[in-house]
Amino acid sequence: MSLAVGLDAHAQLAAEHEALIQFLYLAPVGLVQTGIDGEIAMINPISAQLLMPLSRDGCLTNLFAALEDVAPELRHLCETFAHPNGMICDGLHIHLNSGVAGKRMRVPQVLSLSLLKLDGARLMAVLSDVSEQVRRERQLRQSDAWLNALLTSISDYALVGLDREGRVSDWNETIARVTGFTAAVVGQPYSVFYPEGATTPDLVGDRLREADANGWSLDEGPRLRFDGSQFFGSSMISPMPDRDLDAVADGEPAYCLVLRDISDKRDAIDKRRRSVFCDHLTGVANRRAFFEAAELELNRNRRTPRPTALILFDADHFKQINDRHGHPAGDRVLRQLGAALSLTFRQVDVVARVGGEEFAVLLPSSTLAGAAAVAERLRQLVEGQPVGFEGASIAYTVSAGIAAIGAGETIDLDTLIKRADRALYAAKAKGRNRVECWNGDLDAA
Amino acid sequence: MNAATDLSFAAPGLHGQLAQLSPEQLDRLDFGVIAFDGETVVSQYNQTESEAAGLSASRVLGQPLFTNVAPCMNNFMVAQRFEDAQDEGSPLDDTIDYVLTLRMRPIKVKLRLLAEPGSAQRYVLVQRKL
Repeated sequence: MSLAVGLDAHAQLAAEHEALIQFLYLAPVGLVQTGIDGEIAMINPISAQLLMPLSRDGCLTNLFAALEDVAPELRHLCETFAHPNGMICDGLHIHLNSGVAGKRMRVPQVLSLSLLKLDGARLMAVLSDVSEQVRRERQLRQSDAWLNALLTSISDYALVGLDREGRVSDWNETIARVTGFTAAVVGQPYSVFYPEGATTPDLVGDRLREADANGWSLDEGPRLRFDGSQFFGSSMISPMPDRDLDAVADGEPAYCLVLRDISDKRDAIDKRRRSVFCDHLTGVANRRAFFEAAELELNRNRRTPRPTALILFDADHFKQINDRHGHPAGDRVLRQLGAALSLTFRQVDVVARVGGEEFAVLLPSSTLAGAAAVAERLRQLVEGQPVGFEGASIAYTVSAGIAAIGAGETIDLDTLIKRADRALYAAKAKGRNRVECWNGDLDAA
Repeated sequence: MNAATDLSFAAPGLHGQLAQLSPEQLDRLDFGVIAFDGETVVSQYNQTESEAAGLSASRVLGQPLFTNVAPCMNNFMVAQRFEDAQDEGSPLDDTIDYVLTLRMRPIKVKLRLLAEPGSAQRYVLVQRKL
């Protein structure tokens, strides 16, 4: 081979190499190759675009570390993957915080992650921003629920007229059949059909506003009969056709509430919800459900001002529990903490696991003081209730940080979370096993 | 000594000085220089940057920076800063720690973001950490 030909071949190889590099630079999807422990070997630019804002230490040396705050389960997921190779997760949705305050740029809210185990030493990851897809799916899901409510065969329904304020305007036979309420129910707000803790006066108004805006408002959950017994029902509120809200006199029907007993559908509905919205370990809401619920509540808050509180709980010295008693014991502690939270808070509150040992509770229509009282009750409950595991009794405590939006204040979700986090930090700094509320002073950072 | 090679990554008032340099002088700098215009189209790409990224300037010049050249910077940490400065008509001169994926390896770098109101030319400067 002549020297010229050799140089030509070399130049051609170099050009091909450059084209390949550029191909990877421009791939509109994140690609990462890591060791089995998540140490990053190769990574393309979109991955850096998506991961850099999440990385706490500003490094991209380990994929699991970069995603630690938003997907703490990854390391565990890989460690417990039993096969020598194969898909560890396919399109796992990772819910990020709600966005950066005051920035106009579209910030990703949901990432999709697929992890492929190549062999005992290597993983390949694919990352992409699926925020827009998830938003569309959410809209579709709501339409599905609406169609479901219309099309499924139902055991019975009550037709209830509601006035401008959501009070029952008329009584009829169907109300008696489904709920057992007599004509004395006229004049009471429709929350009379909800068990205690399942709604708030603010929420009663919210659903009317949503019906005004969208043409309907639908929710499914426990409902209350006159005799105190409960059933699983769906409530759909829609504005009366052709009504002029300003012209409707007090007590005259302005909305129609269709209340259905869908107890027979409950298992299917619960199962579907659990698979999408529940944390697999503790059964409380997952990050996705939390951020969806929190966004919705803050939107409502902006439309109709009312106090809203957020509590962040963190199990104290959790790593020591894991180290001393093993991960299964740690899991047991987390499950018990989740159960204690669910029992302590109202049904209308959103209890969610948002990190490894971190839980968040969103309390609609609740003041800082109100939230602090419940948080303190939970703290005492946990302190007095050690977890039994394989003969051992594991005592543990929690710290809590609370922040609230006062009526009429406008604070975005990130700020609220940051404030609660500052308060939680203060609770930890003051010795743990305590509840701290955010006050302006803690806002220094 | 040539004045151009005196310029350091951290030198004050760099925006104005870079604008004076010829392409050859830019190539001699020991840090990466990517210049782009008001529409984010890349207008200069110096030798240091080209070698580190493994891309010749011809593949990059004339391309929109944040989508076709450095998508890794298309987030609120970098791209947003330039957009904000442009919208507010304010100067930008900030140095941040970042990770670039040069030849698909994660490399810690310092980025210096430069924009001046009244000048369409904007710069991302890249200093590989020592």
